[in-house]
Amino acid sequence: MNHNQLDHILKAHHRDAYLWARQCCSFKDEMAKDVLQQTYLKILEGQAKLKDESKVKTWLFSIIRYTAIDELRKAGKIVSLSDSYDPVDIHEEVDRTDYEGIIKHLPEMQREVILMVFYHKMTIAQSAEILQISIGTARTHYDRGKKKLKELITKVQIQEDYGKQ
Amino acid sequence: MENNEQIERFFDQMKKQDEQLDIPVFPEVKTRKFGFWIPAGIAASMVFAFLFIQKPEPIKPASPEVVIITLQQDGNHNQHFTIEERTFLDTWESPTASLLTEY
Repeated sequence: MNHNQLDHILKAHHRDAYLWARQCCSFKDEMAKDVLQQTYLKILEGQAKLKDESKVKTWLFSIIRYTAIDELRKAGKIVSLSDSYDPVDIHEEVDRTDYEGIIKHLPEMQREVILMVFYHKMTIAQSAEILQISIGTARTHYDRGKKKLKELITKVQIQEDYGKQ
Repeated sequence: MENNEQIERFFDQMKKQDEQLDIPVFPEVKTRKFGFWIPAGIAASMVFAFLFIQKPEPIKPASPEVVIITLQQDGNHNQHFTIEERTFLDTWESPTASLLTEY
Protein backbone atom coordinates (compact mmCIF):
# COMPACT_ATOMS: atom_id res chain seq x y z
CA MET A 1 0.00 0.00 0.00
CA ASN A 2 1.53 3.28 -1.07
CA HIS A 3 1.74 6.59 0.80
CA ASN A 4 -1.25 8.15 -0.99
CA GLN A 5 -3.56 5.22 -0.23
CA LEU A 6 -2.57 5.31 3.44
CA ASP A 7 -3.06 9.06 3.50
CA HIS A 8 -6.55 8.60 2.06
CA ILE A 9 -7.46 5.93 4.65
CA LEU A 10 -6.20 8.05 7.53
CA LYS A 11 -8.12 11.09 6.32
CA ALA A 12 -11.31 9.02 6.06
CA HIS A 13 -10.97 7.84 9.69
CA HIS A 14 -9.49 11.04 11.09
CA ARG A 15 -12.48 12.12 13.18
CA ASP A 16 -13.00 8.68 14.75
CA ALA A 17 -9.26 8.36 15.29
CA TYR A 18 -9.07 11.69 17.12
CA LEU A 19 -12.06 10.85 19.34
CA TRP A 20 -10.54 7.47 20.20
CA ALA A 21 -7.14 9.03 20.88
CA ARG A 22 -8.83 11.50 23.21
CA GLN A 23 -10.66 8.68 25.01
CA CYS A 24 -7.37 6.77 25.39
CA CYS A 25 -5.69 9.90 26.81
CA SER A 26 -8.25 10.49 29.59
CA PHE A 27 -9.98 13.10 27.38
CA LYS A 28 -6.92 15.36 27.22
CA ASP A 29 -7.02 17.26 23.93
CA GLU A 30 -3.35 18.18 23.58
CA MET A 31 -2.11 14.71 24.44
CA ALA A 32 -4.62 13.21 21.99
CA LYS A 33 -3.32 15.46 19.18
CA ASP A 34 0.22 14.40 19.98
CA VAL A 35 -0.70 10.71 20.07
CA LEU A 36 -2.51 11.00 16.75
CA GLN A 37 0.46 12.73 15.12
CA GLN A 38 2.79 9.99 16.34
CA THR A 39 0.37 7.31 15.16
CA TYR A 40 0.21 8.79 11.64
CA LEU A 41 3.98 9.06 11.58
CA LYS A 42 4.36 5.38 12.56
CA ILE A 43 1.97 4.37 9.79
CA LEU A 44 3.39 6.58 7.05
CA GLU A 45 6.96 5.64 7.90
CA GLY A 46 6.03 1.97 7.63
CA GLN A 47 6.66 1.09 11.28
CA ALA A 48 3.08 -0.19 11.48
CA LYS A 49 1.84 -2.11 8.47
CA LEU A 50 -1.73 -2.90 7.50
CA LYS A 51 -2.01 -6.59 6.59
CA ASP A 52 -5.76 -6.91 6.12
CA GLU A 53 -7.50 -3.97 4.46
CA SER A 54 -10.87 -5.07 5.85
CA LYS A 55 -9.57 -4.36 9.37
CA VAL A 56 -8.45 -0.76 8.91
CA LYS A 57 -10.35 0.65 11.87
CA THR A 58 -9.25 -2.14 14.25
CA TRP A 59 -5.64 -1.70 13.12
CA LEU A 60 -5.73 2.10 13.48
CA PHE A 61 -7.42 1.98 16.89
CA SER A 62 -4.88 -0.56 18.11
CA ILE A 63 -1.92 1.65 17.13
CA ILE A 64 -3.55 4.70 18.71
CA ARG A 65 -4.15 2.78 21.94
CA TYR A 66 -0.56 1.56 22.23
CA THR A 67 0.83 4.99 21.38
CA ALA A 68 -1.42 6.52 24.05
CA ILE A 69 -0.25 3.94 26.62
CA ASP A 70 3.37 4.91 25.85
CA GLU A 71 2.55 8.60 26.23
CA LEU A 72 0.72 8.05 29.51
CA ARG A 73 3.62 5.94 30.78
CA LYS A 74 6.03 8.75 29.92
CA ALA A 75 3.81 11.17 31.78
CA GLY A 76 3.64 8.73 34.72
CA LYS A 77 -0.13 8.42 34.46
CA ILE A 78 -0.50 4.73 33.79
CA VAL A 79 -2.84 2.77 36.05
CA SER A 80 -1.75 -0.64 37.22
CA LEU A 81 -3.81 -3.62 36.09
CA SER A 82 -4.90 -4.49 39.63
CA ASP A 83 -6.71 -1.15 39.84
CA SER A 84 -8.96 -2.28 37.02
CA TYR A 85 -10.84 -4.65 39.29
CA ASP A 86 -11.45 -2.28 42.16
CA PRO A 87 -15.09 -1.46 42.85
CA VAL A 88 -16.21 1.83 41.39
CA ASP A 89 -17.65 4.54 43.54
CA ILE A 90 -18.31 8.21 43.05
CA HIS A 91 -17.43 10.26 46.09
CA GLU A 92 -17.46 13.71 44.52
CA GLU A 93 -20.49 15.31 42.90
CA VAL A 94 -20.65 14.62 39.17
CA ASP A 95 -22.92 16.42 36.74
CA ARG A 96 -25.40 14.23 34.84
CA THR A 97 -24.14 15.71 31.56
CA ASP A 98 -20.48 15.22 32.45
CA TYR A 99 -20.31 12.04 30.37
CA GLU A 100 -16.53 12.00 30.32
CA GLY A 101 -16.39 12.44 34.08
CA ILE A 102 -18.80 9.53 34.57
CA ILE A 103 -17.06 7.17 32.18
CA LYS A 104 -13.67 7.96 33.72
CA HIS A 105 -14.89 6.20 36.86
CA LEU A 106 -14.90 2.86 35.04
CA PRO A 107 -11.78 0.67 35.27
CA GLU A 108 -9.55 1.10 32.23
CA MET A 109 -10.23 -2.13 30.32
CA GLN A 110 -13.97 -1.99 30.94
CA ARG A 111 -14.04 1.63 29.83
CA GLU A 112 -12.21 0.81 26.62
CA VAL A 113 -14.47 -2.11 25.70
CA ILE A 114 -17.61 -0.14 26.50
CA LEU A 115 -16.43 2.86 24.45
CA MET A 116 -15.52 0.68 21.48
CA VAL A 117 -18.85 -1.16 21.52
CA PHE A 118 -21.30 1.61 22.37
CA TYR A 119 -19.55 4.73 21.12
CA HIS A 120 -17.63 3.43 18.10
CA LYS A 121 -20.13 0.68 17.22
CA MET A 122 -17.56 -2.09 17.12
CA THR A 123 -18.12 -5.72 18.04
CA ILE A 124 -16.76 -7.38 21.18
CA ALA A 125 -14.51 -9.47 18.90
CA GLN A 126 -13.04 -6.31 17.36
CA SER A 127 -12.50 -4.83 20.84
CA ALA A 128 -10.73 -8.02 21.86
CA GLU A 129 -8.47 -7.70 18.83
CA ILE A 130 -7.60 -4.09 19.67
CA LEU A 131 -6.92 -4.89 23.31
CA GLN A 132 -5.11 -8.10 22.29
CA ILE A 133 -7.10 -10.23 24.69
CA SER A 134 -9.38 -13.24 24.18
CA ILE A 135 -13.02 -12.73 23.28
CA GLY A 136 -13.99 -14.34 26.58
CA THR A 137 -12.00 -11.79 28.56
CA ALA A 138 -13.36 -8.94 26.43
CA ARG A 139 -16.90 -10.18 27.07
CA THR A 140 -16.22 -10.22 30.83
CA HIS A 141 -14.99 -6.60 30.67
CA TYR A 142 -18.03 -5.73 28.58
CA ASP A 143 -20.51 -7.26 31.02
CA ARG A 144 -18.84 -5.79 34.11
CA GLY A 145 -18.41 -2.42 32.44
CA LYS A 146 -22.02 -2.28 31.37
CA LYS A 147 -23.20 -3.19 34.87
CA LYS A 148 -20.94 -0.58 36.50
CA LEU A 149 -21.84 2.13 34.04
CA LYS A 150 -25.53 1.56 34.70
CA GLU A 151 -24.85 1.85 38.44
CA LEU A 152 -22.89 5.05 37.89
CA ILE A 153 -25.57 6.64 35.71
CA THR A 154 -28.25 5.75 38.23
CA LYS A 155 -26.16 7.05 41.12
CA VAL A 156 -25.50 10.37 39.39
CA GLN A 157 -29.19 10.73 38.62
CA ILE A 158 -30.11 10.04 42.23
CA GLN A 159 -27.46 12.51 43.44
CA GLU A 160 -28.92 15.18 41.19
CA ASP A 161 -32.55 14.43 41.96
CA TYR A 162 -32.29 14.13 45.72
CA GLY A 163 -28.99 15.75 46.59
CA LYS A 164 -25.85 13.92 47.70
CA GLN A 165 -26.64 11.17 50.19
CA MET B 1 -31.12 -5.03 23.82
CA GLU B 2 -33.75 -3.33 25.91
CA ASN B 3 -31.62 -3.46 29.05
CA ASN B 4 -28.94 -1.49 27.15
CA GLU B 5 -31.31 1.41 26.53
CA GLN B 6 -29.94 3.46 29.40
CA ILE B 7 -26.37 3.02 28.16
CA GLU B 8 -27.32 3.65 24.52
CA ARG B 9 -29.00 6.89 25.55
CA PHE B 10 -25.96 7.87 27.60
CA PHE B 11 -23.64 7.42 24.61
CA ASP B 12 -26.02 9.14 22.19
CA GLN B 13 -25.92 12.20 24.43
CA MET B 14 -22.15 11.93 24.81
CA LYS B 15 -21.77 11.83 21.02
CA LYS B 16 -24.04 14.85 20.68
CA GLN B 17 -21.80 16.71 23.12
CA ASP B 18 -18.70 15.61 21.20
CA GLU B 19 -20.06 17.20 18.04
CA GLN B 20 -19.10 20.51 19.65
CA LEU B 21 -15.49 19.41 19.90
CA ASP B 22 -12.90 21.02 17.67
CA ILE B 23 -11.49 18.22 15.60
CA PRO B 24 -7.93 19.17 14.60
CA VAL B 25 -7.26 19.37 10.89
CA PHE B 26 -5.59 16.36 9.38
CA PRO B 27 -1.93 17.01 10.07
CA GLU B 28 0.57 17.22 7.24
CA VAL B 29 2.81 14.45 8.39
CA LYS B 30 6.35 14.84 7.14
CA THR B 31 8.04 11.48 7.12
CA ARG B 32 11.68 11.35 8.11
CA LYS B 33 12.52 8.98 5.29
CA PHE B 34 14.47 10.37 2.32
CA GLY B 35 12.57 10.03 -0.89
CA PHE B 36 14.23 9.01 -4.12
CA TRP B 37 13.97 12.50 -5.60
CA ILE B 38 16.03 14.26 -2.95
CA PRO B 39 19.37 12.46 -3.54
CA ALA B 40 18.64 12.34 -7.28
CA GLY B 41 18.13 16.12 -7.33
CA ILE B 42 21.36 16.72 -5.41
CA ALA B 43 23.30 14.49 -7.80
CA ALA B 44 21.81 16.21 -10.87
CA SER B 45 22.65 19.66 -9.46
CA MET B 46 26.24 18.59 -8.88
CA VAL B 47 26.55 17.28 -12.44
CA PHE B 48 25.17 20.55 -13.86
CA ALA B 49 27.49 22.57 -11.68
CA PHE B 50 30.46 20.51 -12.84
CA LEU B 51 29.55 20.89 -16.50
CA PHE B 52 28.60 24.55 -16.62
CA ILE B 53 30.56 26.30 -13.93
CA GLN B 54 33.93 24.84 -14.90
CA LYS B 55 35.48 27.09 -17.66
CA PRO B 56 37.64 25.42 -20.31
CA GLU B 57 41.25 26.55 -19.96
CA PRO B 58 42.79 27.99 -23.15
CA ILE B 59 45.53 25.80 -24.59
CA LYS B 60 48.78 27.68 -24.44
CA PRO B 61 51.08 27.26 -27.41
CA ALA B 62 54.14 25.36 -26.33
CA SER B 63 57.33 27.43 -26.30
CA PRO B 64 59.98 26.28 -28.77
CA GLU B 65 62.71 24.38 -27.06
CA VAL B 66 64.77 23.19 -30.02
CA VAL B 67 66.52 25.47 -32.49
CA ILE B 68 67.97 23.80 -35.59
CA ILE B 69 70.47 25.81 -37.57
CA THR B 70 71.46 24.29 -40.87
CA LEU B 71 73.83 25.54 -43.55
CA GLN B 72 72.50 24.83 -47.00
CA GLN B 73 73.90 25.48 -50.41
CA ASP B 74 71.70 26.56 -53.31
CA GLY B 75 72.17 25.93 -57.03
CA ASN B 76 74.47 29.00 -57.46
CA HIS B 77 76.80 27.65 -54.76
CA ASN B 78 75.64 30.31 -52.28
CA GLN B 79 75.40 29.10 -48.70
CA HIS B 80 72.47 30.06 -46.48
CA PHE B 81 71.83 29.47 -42.84
CA THR B 82 68.37 28.14 -42.15
CA ILE B 83 67.06 28.50 -38.62
CA GLU B 84 64.12 26.34 -37.52
CA GLU B 85 62.36 26.38 -34.16
CA ARG B 86 60.71 23.20 -33.02
CA THR B 87 58.93 22.17 -29.84
CA PHE B 88 60.28 18.70 -30.04
CA LEU B 89 62.93 16.75 -31.82
CA ASP B 90 62.21 13.18 -32.79
CA THR B 91 65.28 12.42 -34.83
CA TRP B 92 67.57 14.81 -36.48
CA GLU B 93 70.55 13.93 -38.48
CA SER B 94 73.11 16.50 -39.36
CA PRO B 95 73.58 16.71 -43.13
CA THR B 96 77.34 16.66 -42.55
CA ALA B 97 77.28 13.76 -40.14
CA SER B 98 78.57 11.42 -42.82
CA LEU B 99 81.83 13.40 -42.95
CA LEU B 100 82.55 12.57 -39.32
CA THR B 101 82.18 8.86 -39.86
CA GLU B 102 83.55 8.46 -43.36
CA TYR B 103 86.67 10.58 -42.95
